[in-house]
Amino acid sequence: MNVLVPLPVVLPLLAAALSLAAYGRTTLQRAIGLVTMTATCAASATLLTLVIRDGPMSADLGGWGPSIGIVLVADLFAVVMLAVSSAMVLAVLVYAIGSPATGDSAALFHPVYLVLAAGVSASFLTGDLFNLFVAFEVMLSASYVLMTLGGRAEQVRSGMTYVVVSLLASTLFITAVALVYAATGTVNLAELAVRMPDLPPFVRDSLGLLLLVVFGIKAAIFPLFFWLPDSYPTAPTPVTAIFAGLLTKVGVYAIIRTQMLLFQSDGPSPLLLSIAGATMLVGVLGAIAQDDIKRILSFHIVSQIGYMILGLGLFTVAGLAASIFYIVHHIIVKTTLFLVGGIVEQATGTGALRRLSGVATRMPVTAVLFLVPALSLAGLPPFSGFVAKLGLVEAGLAEHRHVIIGVSLLVSLLTLFSMTKIWGGAFWGTADEAAFVNAAPNRSGAPALMIAPTAVLVAASLAVALAAGPLYGVAESAAESLIDAGAYVRLVTGP
Amino acid sequence: MIGLLLLYGGVALLGPALSRRLGARVLFLCLVPHIATLAYLVSAWPRVAGGRSIAESHEWVPALSLGVDLRLDAFGLLMAGIISGIGVAVFFYARWYFAGRSDLGLFAGVITVFAGSMVGVVMADNLLLLYVFWELTSVTSYLLIGIDHQKGAARAAALKALLITGMGGLVMLGGFVLVGRAAGTFSLSGILATPPSGATTTVGIGLVLVGAFTKSAQVPFHSWLPGAMAAPTPVSAYLHSATMVKAGVYLIARLAPVFATVVWFWRPVVLAAGVATMLVGGYRALRETDLKLLLAYGTVSQLGLMVVLVGAGYPDLTFAGAALILAHSLFKAVLFMVVGIVDHAAHTRDLRRLHGLGRRMPLVFAVSVVAVASMVGLPAALGFLAKEAAYEALLHSGNPVVTAAVVVGSALTFAYGARFLWGAFADKPVRKEDDVALEVAAPSPAIVLPSVVLSILTLVLGVAPALGGKLVTSAATAVGRTTELPKLVLWHGFTPALGLSGLAIAVGVALFLRRGSVDRLQSRLALPAGLTTPYEHALSLLNRVADRSTGVMQNGSLPIYVGVILLTVVLLPTWRLATDGRLPSRIEFADSPVQALVALVVVAAAIGCARARRRFVAVLLLGAVGFAVAVLFIMQGAPDLALTQLLVETLALVIFVLVLRHLPEQFPRRSSRLATGLRLGVAGGVGVFVTAFAIIAAGSRTHPSAGDGLVERALPDGGGRNVVNVILTDFRAFDTVGEITVLTVAALGIIGLLLARADGGEGEEPGK
Repeated sequence: MNVLVPLPVVLPLLAAALSLAAYGRTTLQRAIGLVTMTATCAASATLLTLVIRDGPMSADLGGWGPSIGIVLVADLFAVVMLAVSSAMVLAVLVYAIGSPATGDSAALFHPVYLVLAAGVSASFLTGDLFNLFVAFEVMLSASYVLMTLGGRAEQVRSGMTYVVVSLLASTLFITAVALVYAATGTVNLAELAVRMPDLPPFVRDSLGLLLLVVFGIKAAIFPLFFWLPDSYPTAPTPVTAIFAGLLTKVGVYAIIRTQMLLFQSDGPSPLLLSIAGATMLVGVLGAIAQDDIKRILSFHIVSQIGYMILGLGLFTVAGLAASIFYIVHHIIVKTTLFLVGGIVEQATGTGALRRLSGVATRMPVTAVLFLVPALSLAGLPPFSGFVAKLGLVEAGLAEHRHVIIGVSLLVSLLTLFSMTKIWGGAFWGTADEAAFVNAAPNRSGAPALMIAPTAVLVAASLAVALAAGPLYGVAESAAESLIDAGAYVRLVTGP
Repeated sequence: MIGLLLLYGGVALLGPALSRRLGARVLFLCLVPHIATLAYLVSAWPRVAGGRSIAESHEWVPALSLGVDLRLDAFGLLMAGIISGIGVAVFFYARWYFAGRSDLGLFAGVITVFAGSMVGVVMADNLLLLYVFWELTSVTSYLLIGIDHQKGAARAAALKALLITGMGGLVMLGGFVLVGRAAGTFSLSGILATPPSGATTTVGIGLVLVGAFTKSAQVPFHSWLPGAMAAPTPVSAYLHSATMVKAGVYLIARLAPVFATVVWFWRPVVLAAGVATMLVGGYRALRETDLKLLLAYGTVSQLGLMVVLVGAGYPDLTFAGAALILAHSLFKAVLFMVVGIVDHAAHTRDLRRLHGLGRRMPLVFAVSVVAVASMVGLPAALGFLAKEAAYEALLHSGNPVVTAAVVVGSALTFAYGARFLWGAFADKPVRKEDDVALEVAAPSPAIVLPSVVLSILTLVLGVAPALGGKLVTSAATAVGRTTELPKLVLWHGFTPALGLSGLAIAVGVALFLRRGSVDRLQSRLALPAGLTTPYEHALSLLNRVADRSTGVMQNGSLPIYVGVILLTVVLLPTWRLATDGRLPSRIEFADSPVQALVALVVVAAAIGCARARRRFVAVLLLGAVGFAVAVLFIMQGAPDLALTQLLVETLALVIFVLVLRHLPEQFPRRSSRLATGLRLGVAGGVGVFVTAFAIIAAGSRTHPSAGDGLVERALPDGGGRNVVNVILTDFRAFDTVGEITVLTVAALGIIGLLLARADGGEGEEPGK
């Protein structure tokens, strides 16, 4: 069934071409997008079940073998990410179609959005460092276009920050790939895993740190995060939501993949743990200082990347499992929160807390759709964020990393505080009917096609909490296969 | 047991859905899980009486030892009985309190979740599960305090309660994990059966205590509880006197018998906190003029007493504590409900304005007298039995200082109890404009009914000690693991305990009679108004730190962002390269002089680009760098690659020019030498770093390069003489597809921007 492996990349890419051919025919574009992403979700879900049942798969594109050609690797970590991300892409697509103001009206939205989906899938699946660069470029070029779609002045301005920083990151990435190739003679990840130990330790470590910086820019870790809160909030809601849910996580994925496969450390890494702590803290402090829903949520992305790095920095199965679970939880919850923020903006025309009041009274359904992921984001039980946080706390204390766990708990409280800032500022208070200019005349205040995908994602995050037992089991298996770099090598290069 | 919890959850979901149709009657629906719980507790009683317990387990996240492990013993049964029993009374009362309101959906749902979570807290046998329910009560409490969220004060009070109890909860979670790891199990009963010891346990238990103290409003974390009085009265009566605030007491009671001896600081810390809370609460209750705040401080004081009793870890004190928990729930719920009735009728809770209500609502007055009698420990009320048991136990196993403090606390309790009755009901002179008595309407019988029932219960249990005694004894047995317990008795004879009761009452009477002097003394001792509390201080400090740090880091300057990124690139890996990096012994500079020349052009163009004043020149020089690199590709025998490079450079130029239209012609003038120096330093550093790293990396290769394989197989397997061609179209065609996509998307982006401009771009000029 290895023919399945490239499908999550190929399907959206082909559909992007079709969608471009249907330029100007929005209904057709919508149909293409929905059908393709449904198929992609199905393919990813099938891959996930197959990998859980039979173990990882690889696809040797063109049959040239690992050192000549490009290999795709569908191991458990990759397919978990793939399944979650394609589901998010589909949900946000429905939301974009349903959203009247900021949706998919631009004729370029659909083809470029599908290209983004292809880039994200390729980043998860690729077993080749240079191809990872290409996948990043595909994803990023699509993101540049999506971010400036509509060409509002504010968008173009903050788009500049985003594009410049991303291009800088790409330059550094290609430099890093060149240095890796110069030192090892290959860009295939499995071969790299074999050859890395033969390098002098200082070369190996420096390459590891360089790649950490490169992916760290994309993942928005401290001190490389500035671009994110400046650029995300200005894009149209569906775009921000999918960026928030997926793009930084692709960076985290690449960090975890490369650090585990190529630069695995024997014990907890003080550097990564310090980065994790600093990222958590600056992110949440930034969130506290904001008074706009999307800006608060954007800073929280940064903060929560810290939690994911924390689990990695422990270099234990428990830590990695917690990180993986955290990523899955975070992707769902974060996307949902941006979608809800978009619903509020759509109804009221603003996301500024100073101008918002009484949303819970006027739009109670939307309020509940905010409350659940918000509490989950703050790590409150019994939601998915709590299970994720508990996993990190147990894993960290098992390694006696008391300080960083203390920091993570403090940040959790501050996260709760900034969530109450949104809740208290926007949702509570007196509802002035005149403020809800565009609100639909129902209890959610939004069109059904915006509410439905949001509600489905809330239900999904509740399901993650409810089924946390088996899901955590999957995260643990994925973590074990990450720790065992040898298995990855054997899969690609043969026994 | 899990069925009960699910029932609470189900009703919580159903309530909001039906609230529009049912109005305030939706609260009748919310009685269902309470009644079911009571029925279950009655049926379970024979199985848990005398220190036994029932357990059940369901899996949740086994990997994290987080399971739905429930256990019911007599202490849990006592607590659950209070939660559901008082729940019935308060929900019934709330139905009339909120009569006529149709927006109770959220209230009904949230308070039912709260009730279910409380039942969960007292039934959880897994520490992590206990934390789950514990935090759920904090969050639901936040939502309930803020139910009148149109008022800023309610929002602030809700937040304060959430932050303080949430902080405690997180500290407690850390403690739980530490204790659980030390014990090797997260089972509460398991940990108590074979308690861990050592430094980890000591720290862990200390953290758990912080959580319990915040929840049960112990000094110095008590200030959220009076604030929580911003909530509607049913919420105060249920959450902030009868149930939630007892969660901390519950947890301390569970742990005390074991950890009072295992952890060296347990007794001093717990007793000090309890005593301080009892005295501070009692003292403040004497000052308040708002009846509800008076009761709130009274609750603080009583919680302190409970912590003193159950926290010492001695069986007889625990026994007295359990009795007090029961008595307090009964009388304090009544008093809060009375305040709500008075508030509804007179539209004020200010005891300086209220007068003569005793005559106008005699039944309400009567139940209040019974409740206060129980609170201050007068015979025939349940509270008396609890107080007597407490004095007996204190004289037997407590230390004299604590005993004296309890007597003082009881005297204060008597004084504020009397003040409550006097303030709410007595005939007293008031200023004419403050006269509210004339407008007072008689309360409906239905809203008084729950108070009457609870008061009768207080009296019945008070005169027939055997009825409640069995439950309290069983509860204390379950906690203390001992059967040698005293009994609740109405008349001990003339014992020292009775003497202490009498002494406390006498002092209390004196304090009440001399209330004028007490008032004056308290005003003189009072801290100046407007003083910021530590909580407000911490909050504003947090906001300041957040603003300041974010202002510094998130300054919006792209050059600074880029600078920091580059600096990180240079410093992080360099730090490692510099520690033990070595350059290879032999370095080849260039293959040919022409190659060196082109390289020089690249370098020169790059330097020129950095020095350029005009943006356009800089862009052109940047292009020159690219084109020169393309020449290098050609010289290496890769014309296809060079072609791609040329295309990309051209595309980049076009985009740049598009953007340039909206930017000033010249770069802004560099203001300071420092800035220029920094830029130079960073740029130079990156250059040196990349060069050095490239030399080092290339010099440390030991394996053959994939390139050799590519060249070797290009003709036989790829069928092409141009290796680059074969790579692009065959070996690594997947990359090429990606790159083609990138180019297409970039072109689309440009078209999109141009179209947006052509459409007028929605108003203002970008880039200005």
